[in-house]
Amino acid sequence: MKVNNLAIDIEKIKEEYPENPLEFFKGKRLCLFKACLEKYFPGVRFGIKNLCEALDLKVNICEKQSCCSGTFFQRNLITRAQFAAINERNLNEINRQGDILLVSCNGCYNSLLRGRDFLKTPEVYKKTQEILKGVKEEMGGEKYPGQYEILDNPNLRVMHDLDFIYLIRESVINTLKYDLKGLKIASHYGCHYLNLDRDRDTETYLRDKRKLEDLIELFGGEPVDYSEREACCGWGASQIVLHPGDALKTTYSKLKSAENVEASFLLMPCPTCLYTLSKPEFRDQIEGLFEERLDIPTIHLNELIAILRGCEEEKCIALRRHSPRIHEIYETITKE
Amino acid sequence: MTNVNIESDEEWSYDFLESLVEDIEENRNIMQCISCGKCVGECPAAKISNFNIRKIISKVLRGDRSVLKDSDIWYCYLCERCKRVCPKEGINIPLLIINLRNESFKKGYGPKYNDLTKYVDMASRFLTNGTVLDDPLDGELSEDRVKELDKICDFARIKYVFKARNANQQKDSDKEESQEKKESEIL
Ligand code: SF4
Ligand code: SF4
Repeated sequence: MKVNNLAIDIEKIKEEYPENPLEFFKGKRLCLFKACLEKYFPGVRFGIKNLCEALDLKVNICEKQSCCSGTFFQRNLITRAQFAAINERNLNEINRQGDILLVSCNGCYNSLLRGRDFLKTPEVYKKTQEILKGVKEEMGGEKYPGQYEILDNPNLRVMHDLDFIYLIRESVINTLKYDLKGLKIASHYGCHYLNLDRDRDTETYLRDKRKLEDLIELFGGEPVDYSEREACCGWGASQIVLHPGDALKTTYSKLKSAENVEASFLLMPCPTCLYTLSKPEFRDQIEGLFEERLDIPTIHLNELIAILRGCEEEKCIALRRHSPRIHEIYETITKE
Repeated sequence: MTNVNIESDEEWSYDFLESLVEDIEENRNIMQCISCGKCVGECPAAKISNFNIRKIISKVLRGDRSVLKDSDIWYCYLCERCKRVCPKEGINIPLLIINLRNESFKKGYGPKYNDLTKYVDMASRFLTNGTVLDDPLDGELSEDRVKELDKICDFARIKYVFKARNANQQKDSDKEESQEKKESEIL
């Protein structure tokens, strides 16, 4: 059986809906993947949900979805087949209630595609099937046909929030109340967006990715380049937890480099990168290690969209009171 | 095969690589490595530690199993940058690293559970509420769903980590109890 990795074909949508790609999504059920770290940044979920609703798109959340389990695979705590089985369980449930799965986190996005990729190895495919069969027995059978089977050519397609927002950008701009005039903004993509090849041909894989910069420009801001633009945030598949003294050097260089070009803030499409680059304790540790206080604010693209749309501060940047200078950014953008 | 100067073909020994390939076919492509060092030049782990992926690959290709004991293999960020810059097709370094770490774990060289404290917590949350955090944004997964995850993870390291933590907690609470008992006896 040929296993598809489920990445949405963006080029095909552009061909079929050259005037207005938003039309492709009309009437489709969009499911928002629950990234664990959205707990710390509820504005990430709110931002995309609020935008979809403003564009008359149908959105839902899958209650039965678990964590993508990428972190356990990366730490060798589960096998490839177990990782693929967790992924299939999630995709199976989501496939029942969604046509398109929107993902706000690079890590989850990578996991969702990688889990399907592993199934291309016959041995992993077989083991995954056996694991799911075991689950079916344990659970006393299935509640719906195919519940514990590998999805064979499902309807569902997976899409990163950044790719989605970029594709429908001309429609997004019409829903915004504010702009980014007078702000210099540095972009951070995150390794598992920047270096991912699964859903791209070789040319786009190697070419500079500029979607964030293009969006900044479209929203009236000035994108600024900086030397560490393509560098990792420092999370490094939990290196920041395991070897914090070393990994924080990466975080420091990144933040410092963006401060050096006087960026007003750092924009990114991933809550894991956001966690690493904004956590007050990490900023304190950086100050201890490098004797320098870095206070550049950081923001997720979905949070920014919510601010630009004029949503309440509490909704856009909920729980972020301790993030460096985030309130200041909100005030600057929303000044009448 | 240690202490060899890798000038001629005779220095290579693919037994070790073959054993890695047995598990993950994709690792076979590592044989195509031309040792150009592009991956090292772009590697974030190399910038902040002694981690050198070219050396690791060279050890694997020389059949030098001491690489499994090297602490270096635990420094990779799994960021996939090397995959992007490598001039050769299909070399999947992050997957090689994960595989080497697996082998290292199997031999008992990997990080001990004590070094994985954070993972112990995450593992126990995953196997009780289906996420890596306490009080997840959308609430906990239902019992049935957690049972499915638990079954999928049968015999996985994640379960040993979880059990080791429970056993440690039991030990701690036993210790506390006996301490309390001692204290009450003293009082
Ligand atoms: S970039 Fe590729 S070919 Fe060059 S040393 Fe690294 S793995 Fe080998
Ligand atoms: S995946 Fe590992 S070896 Fe490759 S560039 Fe990233 S840190 Fe370096």
